[in-house]
Amino acid sequence: MKNCEIKRLHDVDVMSVSKLFFFLLVLSVFAAPIFASEALKVNDENVVVLAIDRAEVAVVSAYETVLEAKRTRANVSELLDRLNVAGGHLAEAHMLYKLGDFDGAVSSADRARTWAEEVGNSAEELRIEAYESWIVGLLIRIISSIVGVIAVAFGTFIAWRAFKRRYFQQA
Amino acid sequence: MKLDEFRILFLVTGLVLTLIVASPALSLISLPRSGERFSELWLLDANGESEDYPFNVTAGGEYSVFLGIGNRLGYCAYYVVQVKFRNQSQPAPSSFGPIEERVPSNLSSLFGVRVFVADEGVWEAPLTFSFDYGFNESLMRVEFSSLNVNGVAVDLVGQVIVWDAVNKEFRGFLFFEVWLYDAEVEDFVYHGRFVSLRLNFIV
Repeated sequence: MKNCEIKRLHDVDVMSVSKLFFFLLVLSVFAAPIFASEALKVNDENVVVLAIDRAEVAVVSAYETVLEAKRTRANVSELLDRLNVAGGHLAEAHMLYKLGDFDGAVSSADRARTWAEEVGNSAEELRIEAYESWIVGLLIRIISSIVGVIAVAFGTFIAWRAFKRRYFQQA
Repeated sequence: MKLDEFRILFLVTGLVLTLIVASPALSLISLPRSGERFSELWLLDANGESEDYPFNVTAGGEYSVFLGIGNRLGYCAYYVVQVKFRNQSQPAPSSFGPIEERVPSNLSSLFGVRVFVADEGVWEAPLTFSFDYGFNESLMRVEFSSLNVNGVAVDLVGQVIVWDAVNKEFRGFLFFEVWLYDAEVEDFVYHGRFVSLRLNFIV
C-alpha cells in the first residue's frame, strides 16, 4: 500500500528535478539553432526588403531631380547613363532577392542607392547651374529685345517724319 | 504712290523689323509640342533584324535577341520591362484599344529590366536566354526547371507545356511587357505594350 502512494511535488526526488532540467537544457541547445535560424532568416529578409525599398526611393528621387534639371534645359544625358547603372544594380537586387541570395541582394541594393544618391546630387548641382545660366540668358534676351524694339520704333518714326517732309517738299 | 500707301509701307516694314529684333524674347515662348506621345518597343533577332527569330528551342540551347525601347513621350522616362513566360492556356497581356484599358498578364515577372531613356532617345540591349526542361512522356508535356536570362538563372519549376495536337508543337511564349513610372501614383503602371517570342520546345 505504501508503494502505491502518489508523491507530492515537494516529495519528488531532487535528482529527478535536476535530470528533467538537464534534459530540457540539452533539448533547448539542439532546438535553439532551428528557431534562431528561422528568426535570423526573417530578420535577413526584412533587411533585404528595407535595403531594396531605400534603393527604390533613392533611384526615383534621383530620376525626379534629373527631370527637374532637364526642365531647366540642362544636358542630362550623362546623368541618365549613370542612372541606368543604378537601375541595373536595383534590378540585380530584386533578382538576387528572388533567388534567396540575401547578402548579394543587400549589396546590390546598397550599390544602387549609392549611385542614385550621387546622380541626385550631380543633378541638383546641374539644375542650379542651368537655372542660373537660363536666368542670365533670359535677361539678356528680354533686354536686347526691348532695346531693339524701341530702336526700331524710334528709327521708323524718325524715318517716316523725314520721308513725309521730303514728300511734301517735292509735292 | 499716295502718302497713305507709303504710311502702310512704313508700318509694315517697322512691324517686320520689330518682330525680327524681338525674336530672341519671342523664342522663349515655347509652344506645346504637337503630335502623339508614345513609346516604342521592339524585338530584333541576333543580327539586329526582324527575320530570323528563335523558334525551335532545345534544352540548354542559347538564343539571342535584341530588346529595344524608343521614347517619344516628351520627357525622360523610367521604364521597367517585365520578362514573363507563359504557355498557351495562361493569360497574355493586351495591347489593343485605349492604353488605360489595356491589361498586363497576371503572371508574375521572372526578370525586370530597369531603363531610363531620354526624350527622343532609344535604348537597346542584347538578351541571351536558354531554357532547362525535361520531357514527361507519360503526361506528354514539357516540364521546366529554369530559364537563364543574360547569365542569371530564374526558377521555372512548376511551369509546363502540354502537346498542341493542332499545331503539332510544344508552344510557349517568352514575352516582354513595358511598365512606365508614373509620378502621380508613385509606382509603375502597365504602358500597354508588349512584344512576344513564340517558341517551340523540341523534345
